[in-house]
Amino acid sequence: MNQFTFENRERTILIAFMILGVVCLGVTYLVDDAYHTRFWSNFLHNSVFVTGIGFLALFFLCASIIAFSGWHVVFKRVWEAYSQFIIVGLGLMIVVVAGLWMHSHHLYHWADPTAVESDPILKHKSSFLNPMTYTLMTILIVGVWYFFARKIRSLSLEEEEVSKFDFEIHKKKTRVWAAIFLPLAGFSSAAVIWQWVMSVDAHWYSTLFAWYCTISWFVTMLCVTVLTLIYLKGKGYYEQVTPDHLHDLGKYIFGFSIFWTYLWFSQYMLIWYGNIGEETIYFKMRREDYPVIFYANLVINFVLPFFILLRNDTKRKTGSMAFISVVLILGHWLDYFLMIKPGVMHTLHEMSGHGHSSADHAEEAHHTAADVSGHAGDAAAHGDQVAEALVGFTYPGLLELGTFLGFAALFAYIFLNHLSKAPLVPERDPYIDESLHHHVV
Amino acid sequence: MSATVSPIREPLITGHKNYHQITEDICAPSERTPSLAWVLAFIVAASFLAFGVFCILWTIWFGIGTWNLNRTIGWGWDITNFVWWIGIGHAGTLISAILLLFRQKWRTGVNRAAEAMTIFAVICAALFPGIHVGRIWVVFYFFPYPNTRGPLWVNFNSPLLWDLFAISTYFTVSLLFWYTGLVPDFATLRDRASGLRKKFYNFLSFGWTGAAKHWQRFESLSLVLAGLATPLVLSVHTIVSFDFATSVIPGWHTTIFPPYFVAGAIFSGFAMVQTLMVMTRKVLKLEDYITIEHIDSMNKIILLTGSIVGVAYLTELFIAWYSGYIYEQFAFMNRVQGIYWWAYLGMMSCNVLSPQIFWSRKLRRNVTVTFVMSIFVNIGMWFERFVIIPTTLARDYLPSSWSYYVPTWVEVGIFLGTLGIFFTCYLIFTRIAPVVAIAEVKAILKSSGDQYAGKQTHQGLSHSQQTSVHEPH
Amino acid sequence: MFGLYDDEEILLKAVKEARDKHLDIDNVYSPFPIHGLDPLLGLSESRLHQAGFVYGAIGTLTAFLFMTWVFTRDWPIIFGGKPYWSVPAFIPITFELTVLFASIGMVVTFYAVNGQGPGVTNPVLDDRITDDKFCLSFDVTDSDEGVDSLKAFLKESGASEIRTKEI
Repeated sequence: MNQFTFENRERTILIAFMILGVVCLGVTYLVDDAYHTRFWSNFLHNSVFVTGIGFLALFFLCASIIAFSGWHVVFKRVWEAYSQFIIVGLGLMIVVVAGLWMHSHHLYHWADPTAVESDPILKHKSSFLNPMTYTLMTILIVGVWYFFARKIRSLSLEEEEVSKFDFEIHKKKTRVWAAIFLPLAGFSSAAVIWQWVMSVDAHWYSTLFAWYCTISWFVTMLCVTVLTLIYLKGKGYYEQVTPDHLHDLGKYIFGFSIFWTYLWFSQYMLIWYGNIGEETIYFKMRREDYPVIFYANLVINFVLPFFILLRNDTKRKTGSMAFISVVLILGHWLDYFLMIKPGVMHTLHEMSGHGHSSADHAEEAHHTAADVSGHAGDAAAHGDQVAEALVGFTYPGLLELGTFLGFAALFAYIFLNHLSKAPLVPERDPYIDESLHHHVV
Repeated sequence: MSATVSPIREPLITGHKNYHQITEDICAPSERTPSLAWVLAFIVAASFLAFGVFCILWTIWFGIGTWNLNRTIGWGWDITNFVWWIGIGHAGTLISAILLLFRQKWRTGVNRAAEAMTIFAVICAALFPGIHVGRIWVVFYFFPYPNTRGPLWVNFNSPLLWDLFAISTYFTVSLLFWYTGLVPDFATLRDRASGLRKKFYNFLSFGWTGAAKHWQRFESLSLVLAGLATPLVLSVHTIVSFDFATSVIPGWHTTIFPPYFVAGAIFSGFAMVQTLMVMTRKVLKLEDYITIEHIDSMNKIILLTGSIVGVAYLTELFIAWYSGYIYEQFAFMNRVQGIYWWAYLGMMSCNVLSPQIFWSRKLRRNVTVTFVMSIFVNIGMWFERFVIIPTTLARDYLPSSWSYYVPTWVEVGIFLGTLGIFFTCYLIFTRIAPVVAIAEVKAILKSSGDQYAGKQTHQGLSHSQQTSVHEPH
Repeated sequence: MFGLYDDEEILLKAVKEARDKHLDIDNVYSPFPIHGLDPLLGLSESRLHQAGFVYGAIGTLTAFLFMTWVFTRDWPIIFGGKPYWSVPAFIPITFELTVLFASIGMVVTFYAVNGQGPGVTNPVLDDRITDDKFCLSFDVTDSDEGVDSLKAFLKESGASEIRTKEI
């Protein structure tokens, strides 16, 4: 079977999960504080997370083309299908952008004009951190990504049309477009990560941050690939995908989990060692108020894959690979959770605690802080950190999980839909035979 | 390795070689008497070496005062050269280890020489911390050993000590990795030699026989060493970057330093490999093994890492502005416009701008352009370290202590001396050991030799799309 | 007794036949590793990497515990306002020693089990084995196979040369 059929049953299940996600978002909205902080931070968290998977699929596809890599070709359609999700990701991010303009959320401290006026640091940054730049960069950059996703995909489909021995499309077009994309992607991914994620902690900065986020996305993308392949193989598709392909994916997951840890450590160690208050606040906040996730992040994303994937046989078995993939997807989802939530929480306290929010919100804001932090309301009113655990902020609750499943289903729906539109195995790719006869030494 | 090779791949071994010809071609340079070019090169390299030794002795005899370091600029050419050499010493392990794991077959042509180069570069690098301490006769204080001073241990929390561990580990592991790979090739030389020469290679080859079980263990060992060397090579330059980044000096204390130093190291290492390979293949007539395809691939890596380094430079600049921290902003303005603006210009133009010409396939495959570019990158990467070290130090928090620094003849002499060490060692290496890994090249002959791979491509259509060289199962 | 083959593919075929006929192969020598040979010969997977893991673990523990002992018990030092037992600062050296122990341990083990080392001279059946010949050898001193039938087998399987050498 070289043609994937997106069955109605699968569609129904995925739509059901999407409805679950919407319901969870709705419930979050209702039980939320006046700023709907939990709702919006969940929305941002998941949107960034799934959009990144699509982007990294495209990025790695292009990198493989340039590196003359052949082993992955048999399932390259899967990555092409992931990359088509980018446009939906843009749609999701536009919701965040709309919220920014309508002041419906306070995810970003810099989006509050009153705060910017009184805060010299935010004021200094305001030529980069402002709604207009945020909007334009999001639309422009993600738009460009999508353009390339379309281009690479259409060239790949075009290849199928031509004579079997004509590799001109690959040599003259695919390689060129892929090569153009790589440097663009290198710069642009950093820019959007600064805007979307790093600016959540508007005062804080780290030069490594963008690379760290990218690798987190990359590991997630590989794990999603493993799950996709295992699922499709279970349905009888992709009999050409062998344990050897799984083995290579396993190697990548293993290697890049270590690389992720390396980046995590580099960032943490340098800030810890330098001991400058403006920088250490980031980790202090996370280590002291979010201890479980802080350490779980390292255990799940480093210790588990390291010991599980160290052996060769676990990289070749469906069971162990599926297990570690699920664990790592959740792990990196938690990683993003930990990047976004504390900053958003802090912004909320800053605004409500110091009364820096716009006048009509001021009263509401005090009320909000008490709402959010419950018993710790007093502390919050003074702008201090909340030490008490809070579902949805200090650790994810069922609503967060439901929302995540909804977003995951959306991602799955979109990419399966694209996957069903072209043959699964690209028979005219110049490297297809290498991929079909792939053996890991 | 996949048995099937895509028809789109270019051959990596040209000239329709068979196994015996490979042996002949690669062993030949070490079996004939040295050419005039070699002798002349050796004399020049050894003279540089001798001058370097003289300058080092001068330093030790008269003290560090013979260098132009001052209270403000405590690190000058010494640490610049140290970082430069250690960076160059990264390409060998990278080619052998990371490319082995990524199954890039073109590595076989260049890995042996690159690894050798790594070892010589690390020797050059390790020299600098040794003499920089000033009292070289107590340099053993570096090592944690039980002593009568308490025992007072070294400070394991100091990045400089991490560096000692990193570099000695890196040197040891690279040496083991390189030598283990050489053993089967020494056996080849042994079996072709006679008399004293046979005894010599018999000693070096450790009694290698080529038995199946030994090959199996050999491959297992190579793979695990490659797996270990990959994070190791990252860690070494990471720790070198920690020397700077753990401080609170604006311009040094930045989290991107570790991966950015690593990318820079790979970049400069590949440039040095190119410099040597372009000469080696010509002089030793190894054009069939180190082909234009190899040069093309390496130029791509240079382009890639050059661009990564470029992204890092711009990230630093941007975040310096973004931070809103005036000292950080000043540090970067100082780099761009300050007294050492020419070093920054040199760094940017050699490292980021000029490699961009490699977007053109034609230029990537041009040997002369490659050679010139590799020298450019070497210079650019030297400037990068110079920009980071003296430029940053020259303008510290206290304007009254601002300073300027030019090296003395002793410092320049030591640098020239390390070039001498490097090239002397490399020249000796080309006489003693096979410059290309014989066994590894033979192993890929049937998938990448030009009479097998790419045959159909060159001749246009054929009946089968795949140029299959099926390994029997 | 041994036969020399010109190509690894002929050798592989010969090995397969010999195994099918239950001939007692002494050893196979080649100028480079041949893929697919190990299962044919029935060689079990090398356990060298497992040894490497153990050496590495020893290195990790040595480094980490030693630094812990020095800075919490023997001679604590305060640096940069950090605690005595400052784990992040121990990581780099711990990592380096892990790699160092694993590498040295594995290389030493490799040469030890191979019976190799500086100055060791192992008998070489033919000088061309490290060049372009692939060798399949049989021990005929106390083999119950007839020397003649072995010779016939080698010839049949495509050996370009058949020789006997006493070691």
